[in-house]
Amino acid sequence: MATATKFIGKPLKRKEDPRLIQGIAHYVDDLVLAGMLHAGFVRSPHAHAVVKSIDSTKAQSAPGVVGVFTAEDFRGQIGIVPCAAQLPDLKGAPRPVLATGRVRFVGEAVAVVVASDRYALRDAMDLVEVDYEPLTPVVDPEKAISKNAPVLHEPSADNVSFRWELEGGDVKRAFKQADKVIRQRILNQRLVPMAMEPRGVLAEYKRGEKTLTVWSSTQIPHLLKTQLAAMLGTPEHSVRVITPEVGGGFGSKLNVYPEEAIVAHLAMRLGHPVKWMESRRENFVCTIHGRDQIADVEAAVSKDGTLLGTKWRIIADLGAYYQLLTPLVPTLTGLMLAGSYKVPAIKIEIIGALTNKMATDAYRGAGRPEATYYVERLMDLIAAELKMDPAEIRRKNFPLPKEFPYTTPTGVAYDSANYQRSLDIALKKSGYAKLRKEQAALRKQGRYLGIGVSTYVEICAMGPSSAMPAGGWESATVRVEPTGKVTILTGASPHGQGQETSFAQMGAEVLGLTPDDVNVVHGDTGAVPYGIGTFGSRGTAVGGTAAYMSLVKLRDKLAKIVGHLTGEDPKNFVFGGGSISSKSSANKSISLGEAIGAAYTAKTLPQGMEPGLEATTFFEPTNFTFPFGAHVCVVEIDAETGGVRLLKYVAVDDCGNVLNPLLVEGQVHGGIVQSVGQAMFEEAVYDEHGQLITGELMDYAIPRADAMPWMETHRTVTPSPVNPLGVKGVGEAGTIGATPAIINAVVDALAPFGVRHVDMPVKRERIWKLMRRKAAPKRAPRAAAKAKPKKKSKSAARRRTSRRAR
Amino acid sequence: MKVQGNVVLPAGREQVWDLLTNPAKLAKLLPGCEKLEPDGPDRYKVAIKFALAAFSGKYSGSVELSEKLPPESLRMVLEGKGMPGFMRGEGRIQLADKKGKTELRYEGEAQVGGMIAAVGQRMIDVAARRIIQQFFDSAAAQLRSS
Repeated sequence: MATATKFIGKPLKRKEDPRLIQGIAHYVDDLVLAGMLHAGFVRSPHAHAVVKSIDSTKAQSAPGVVGVFTAEDFRGQIGIVPCAAQLPDLKGAPRPVLATGRVRFVGEAVAVVVASDRYALRDAMDLVEVDYEPLTPVVDPEKAISKNAPVLHEPSADNVSFRWELEGGDVKRAFKQADKVIRQRILNQRLVPMAMEPRGVLAEYKRGEKTLTVWSSTQIPHLLKTQLAAMLGTPEHSVRVITPEVGGGFGSKLNVYPEEAIVAHLAMRLGHPVKWMESRRENFVCTIHGRDQIADVEAAVSKDGTLLGTKWRIIADLGAYYQLLTPLVPTLTGLMLAGSYKVPAIKIEIIGALTNKMATDAYRGAGRPEATYYVERLMDLIAAELKMDPAEIRRKNFPLPKEFPYTTPTGVAYDSANYQRSLDIALKKSGYAKLRKEQAALRKQGRYLGIGVSTYVEICAMGPSSAMPAGGWESATVRVEPTGKVTILTGASPHGQGQETSFAQMGAEVLGLTPDDVNVVHGDTGAVPYGIGTFGSRGTAVGGTAAYMSLVKLRDKLAKIVGHLTGEDPKNFVFGGGSISSKSSANKSISLGEAIGAAYTAKTLPQGMEPGLEATTFFEPTNFTFPFGAHVCVVEIDAETGGVRLLKYVAVDDCGNVLNPLLVEGQVHGGIVQSVGQAMFEEAVYDEHGQLITGELMDYAIPRADAMPWMETHRTVTPSPVNPLGVKGVGEAGTIGATPAIINAVVDALAPFGVRHVDMPVKRERIWKLMRRKAAPKRAPRAAAKAKPKKKSKSAARRRTSRRAR
Repeated sequence: MKVQGNVVLPAGREQVWDLLTNPAKLAKLLPGCEKLEPDGPDRYKVAIKFALAAFSGKYSGSVELSEKLPPESLRMVLEGKGMPGFMRGEGRIQLADKKGKTELRYEGEAQVGGMIAAVGQRMIDVAARRIIQQFFDSAAAQLRSS
């Protein structure tokens, strides 16, 4: 007698990996179509300039060139780059697909050249002569929103894109009651998302059928299809978007870019397939950037460390134009500024600043890493000020498990959590108490160990629709084929998350098959039902739930069929080992194949039942989910060089129920690595002329394997109540929880030097200077006689430090 | 980026002045200069080809001389743009007698943009110094041979 086989929760290896590891997967650049032409973009070297003229005569007549196009050629034919953000009083910053008259960031395209091969293309691009008249660039976001700054988008009066304000609780009272008020400016630097595969798009128009097929390296095939139809004025039912293998997105491909619309338009216009592949150098300047905020915080606290209230003013550097979600990302920061703490009162002001830079948008974590970083830095600042242990101050301010769902003064309802437990585990697994002793002992030897704690909560599983610009649901169709093989078509578009494996596990368990019997199809709008996409850690929580619900519908249908055939109660069946077995009687069991056959031959179906085995679900979640966790990082700083070495990393994450723990660990590992990148290496720097001076991987450092310590990952499981799988999502947890843990460790290591804050990235030079502001503490204990005046000078030094740290 | 420095050239001031202001001679001084032709008074159109790491490529631009005080000082503005981006240098050159030779002092500012700025940041100082060095090496060579 068969029993159900468990696949959900098992660490199955990814079905995706063999083809990726062997190099036999297909990315956009691997696709070659007959008669395919190549497009290349001529981009502005100026951050802000008037385009006086473009002379393309030489390029037009160069060998192999099919055409050179400027904004003029696309007038009225391609709409502007879409932005889905709806904020009250959001100022216009419309981006045409090619610059019309004025360029506003280095890398903005002014012309597109199409040629028969890439070599001819590259040569011809050199021949396009563009005459610019430079304008004063607006680079610093604080200066950008001042009255005298040149305005990027006339007729706007200034460069303030929006002001977003939120207040909850009695902030005035909180500050009146405070024993201490702690202030700090905290920067969150600009980052380049750096997907391993740059963007790329190939389009083909079949004139006979009037169908446009676009292959794009995107996270959102369906939204792209709809937007392309609108931008090109083409009926949506004749547009098909396919995402071949996508080599990483991290939010940078959660967008609709000018190149996608232009290449599609050119394919229709020229009657040839057209391809564009982004170069790494282009990727630096014209694919969205992430983060880039300046936060000023004031916190009101009582002597015992209880948080009474916080006030925030955040300036978000949005860049020159809005991409799909540009203005929305900083508002997500705002929503999460309570962190995992009971803050009775919060006042937030967020100002979006338009500057002559590439647009910022969602980058892994999208707004939440910023919030968590500020809040977790703040908790350490408070702990230092009150001379409390960083773990203790956190514990003191956590809501209790019984208080969930817990609603913050920012109006967000956290679904379920036990913050105390994850912190306890993280402290225990890292050996926190012992580490503190070791730290004290090493300091006496002139060695500087730092221990950083971060306890985070994030908002993910992006849904529900009421809180999303373009719908927060996800779809899935499940088809049981007549031969018993199963196809899951998901509207989400995984690109590295491993859902070909985890959804197959789900399918196998629900229908009593093996994961090899289940195939997951995604990323083809011609094949799968309309979906929203993969971002905001929603693929499993929302997309997976849709698939699960469709699977359950089919299981129920099969049970009804077997019940009808055997006279058994449909509720009394177990699916497993390829059969549908009655729990009570062996002779009321039949093979799965027989049941499937009955559904398709349709001769013996219950009255009124439709033939076939296909079910579709559009799942709408009732709320976001709120994964949480506690991370501990240990660093040692080399007093001679200022170099930071990561010694130990312990992550305790709670992402609810888990479909495949290997995938979860992989997500956590990757997220932590990207956090190490932000904390220690990465920084997209524009100079005062608006030139991106970190435009290649020699200057924009990303973490390498040798920077990483062994990462110890643990999990607690608090199922989410907002979806039947009880999953929360884990795609971004690493980048949210880890950055503050690392910086808190670095600041902790530097405490003997009177350092209370340091901005990212913590490069050697920066640390080395901080360690030399104040003479290194003596190793041997000094005479106690001078203790008092020394203490005074120490606090003076700390005040100086804090000012300079701004 | 600021550039400044001085160099002693093996000729009198008049000769040096002539070298800097005579288009045919100036063309030979500019590294990679493929073409230099008049484009109005004291203004020349230039075509330059560099083969220097991220700066490699063809540039078209102009050289403009102004504030001429023969044989003492002048201002020179060099602009170039091409596929790798743009560069612009502006500076003042002063000449002084030095025991039959001429001491040339220069002081100015250089700016680059586009891909050169993005990928060539580490090399800009070195590249500028090398270009200036080549300029004066050629100047010294020409003066010696004339």
